[in-house]
Amino acid sequence: MKKRDRRSFQLSEKQLGYAMVLPSLILIFAVVLWPVAQSFYNSLFDYRLNDPTRSQRMLSSNIDLERYVDNYFYINSQLNNLSNETDDADIQQSIRTIHEGVEEHHSELISDEEINSKVEQIDELLMSFTPVRDSELKYAKIDNDFAEDYRQDLLSYSEELSAIAESSGNEKFQQTADLLHTTSGNILESNFVGFSNYVDYLKDARMWGSLWNTTFFTVVSVSLELAIGLGVALLINRAFKGRGLVRTSILVPWAIPTAVAAMMWGFLYDGQSGIVAHYLSVLNIIPGASWLLSTSSGGMFSIILADVWKTTPYMALLLLAGLQTIPNSLYEAANVDGANKWQQFWKITLPLLKPAILVALLFRTLDAFRVFDLIYVLTGGGPANATESISVYAYKTLFAQQNFGEGSTLSVIVFICVAIISFAYVKIIGSDLFDRGAK
Amino acid sequence: MNKRTGFGFYFFLIIFVFIVMFPFFWVFLTSIKPVGEIFSSYKWFTTNPTLDSYEAALTNRPLLRYMLNSFVVSGVTTVLALTFASFTAYAVTRLPIKGKGLILGLVLASSMFPQIAIISPIFNLVTDLGLRDSYPGLVLPYITITLPLAIWILSTFFKRIPFELDESAKLDGATPFQTFRKVIFPLAAPGVFTTGILVFIAAWNEYLFALTINSDDRWRTIPVGISMYQSQYSIPWGDITAATVIVTIPIVILVLIFQRRIVSGLTSGSVKE
Repeated sequence: MKKRDRRSFQLSEKQLGYAMVLPSLILIFAVVLWPVAQSFYNSLFDYRLNDPTRSQRMLSSNIDLERYVDNYFYINSQLNNLSNETDDADIQQSIRTIHEGVEEHHSELISDEEINSKVEQIDELLMSFTPVRDSELKYAKIDNDFAEDYRQDLLSYSEELSAIAESSGNEKFQQTADLLHTTSGNILESNFVGFSNYVDYLKDARMWGSLWNTTFFTVVSVSLELAIGLGVALLINRAFKGRGLVRTSILVPWAIPTAVAAMMWGFLYDGQSGIVAHYLSVLNIIPGASWLLSTSSGGMFSIILADVWKTTPYMALLLLAGLQTIPNSLYEAANVDGANKWQQFWKITLPLLKPAILVALLFRTLDAFRVFDLIYVLTGGGPANATESISVYAYKTLFAQQNFGEGSTLSVIVFICVAIISFAYVKIIGSDLFDRGAK
Repeated sequence: MNKRTGFGFYFFLIIFVFIVMFPFFWVFLTSIKPVGEIFSSYKWFTTNPTLDSYEAALTNRPLLRYMLNSFVVSGVTTVLALTFASFTAYAVTRLPIKGKGLILGLVLASSMFPQIAIISPIFNLVTDLGLRDSYPGLVLPYITITLPLAIWILSTFFKRIPFELDESAKLDGATPFQTFRKVIFPLAAPGVFTTGILVFIAAWNEYLFALTINSDDRWRTIPVGISMYQSQYSIPWGDITAATVIVTIPIVILVLIFQRRIVSGLTSGSVKE
């Protein structure tokens, strides 16, 4: 603080203003905007954390030098030994051809000076049994055609040796064949796939299912919340005893973590000991106590009910604040003119409450569309993906399957949907929403 | 509209409050039942109240550790987010800079970004920085999630302070930063405090980042820790209800004390003054 103080003697109001805005903007850029761009970039690759040949995003062909150098050492020595294993001139000839082929490709590979120096460094590290941690050193870009040639040749050598192993019954040929096969896997194709992840998802029934679930959940629960919330707000928009108590009981569901609420409702819905499931089935509202969490419509019903319980109070509070800005004199004038309560509601309350309703709807719709915690904890997306929201699907693809390419595609789809929704709302509400803070 | 309060009004009010509070009520009643009674009956009140479930909830899983983690992460997040946000809100509302609308638009837009869209690059970033299973690993993304909210609410509070004060501070020879620190910020303190409560609750409740980044049990926060009580084979409802009661009590106290502030903070951004 002191330091800033002294510096501010030289800062004009304007400069100070920019200096004060900067840290937040940098943070927002680094942790919100940049990651979104990264997600989009990731979605263009076949990028999987759990697959060593695809754990990097590669625009061109690459070679995993650490594994390659290690394997190359053994290929050399094994091929030398193999020629002593047989007296058959034909076999010796094909071993020689293979050896020459590998040598030729290898010398072409290290004719690149950068790769050559990397190979030497890695050689030294391998000698001392140190794993290569620096991915700059570990991977090298190579020409696409060369990569394809080398890989194909290694595979055909491997087949040739396999055939020899089969006919001669010598295990050692098979070992070398396997080694060559593995080595061909060290030459990595570019995993840039362009928009094909998107094309695949547009044909993916599970994606459309989850998108439908999310939309259905959003529309139904937000409508219910708006209707009930408005009713409650109209009800408590007056002076009465125990306001504080009511306000607290309204705020608690909003304030507790969604995951905790989901666990609570999981207990209330439980087919064996859940009280809500029990009462609803006794009252014949649901077909049976186990219906809630074990059928698709029951699962959706459960999620919507829990969400309505948790967020209606919040909606009611926002709308109540809007109601309190409507001047009472308007209702008095309407009374004088002989308008009944119903007319007053439609002609005064609703039009004047519209801005508050729209803002509340915007925030709630976006929140509902991003729903993750509630579904992930309460149903896990089940039964049979019937309650899986698009965020849950994206999370499972990203972190359960470790498939960052396809998972990022799904998260970009969520992003696009949210952008469309907010754009539509902002169009309706008007630029007023953005200006208000600056006024 | 109808300002009369009669029997019908209280009747509906009591039903509403009862529905809202019933899950908590039932969870509390379950938490003091002996484990055998939880599964066998729908009886509301047990005749043998016991604290066994509480003991189990605290010993089977490190619940107190989860609470400590949540408390540290949310506390640090709140302090840092408020610092950055009050700078920005002050500059945007009271200093003559260009592009205010753009800055606030960017802030509002980034608060609408779905977290699932940023989780995987953040996961890679936090992993590369070696911050997984640590407090900073969560504080970093949390500051940024809560920053737009804090800037937005603080801006409305800063705007309510009369602009004549800046003028008179300037006349008295205060530098712009002194005006902020000694005049405006203290006057906005109630608003900053309100914002702080909301930021704290937002960080306390966050699930997706906590689930992904801190996967080691010792570093889990409350929401993730609670959701891990259920295992694949059995669901210990006794433990879960007791743990729920334990973690809900601090929130109930917080809400009881600060309800007016929370309401004013929640509604400040959505209603025109």
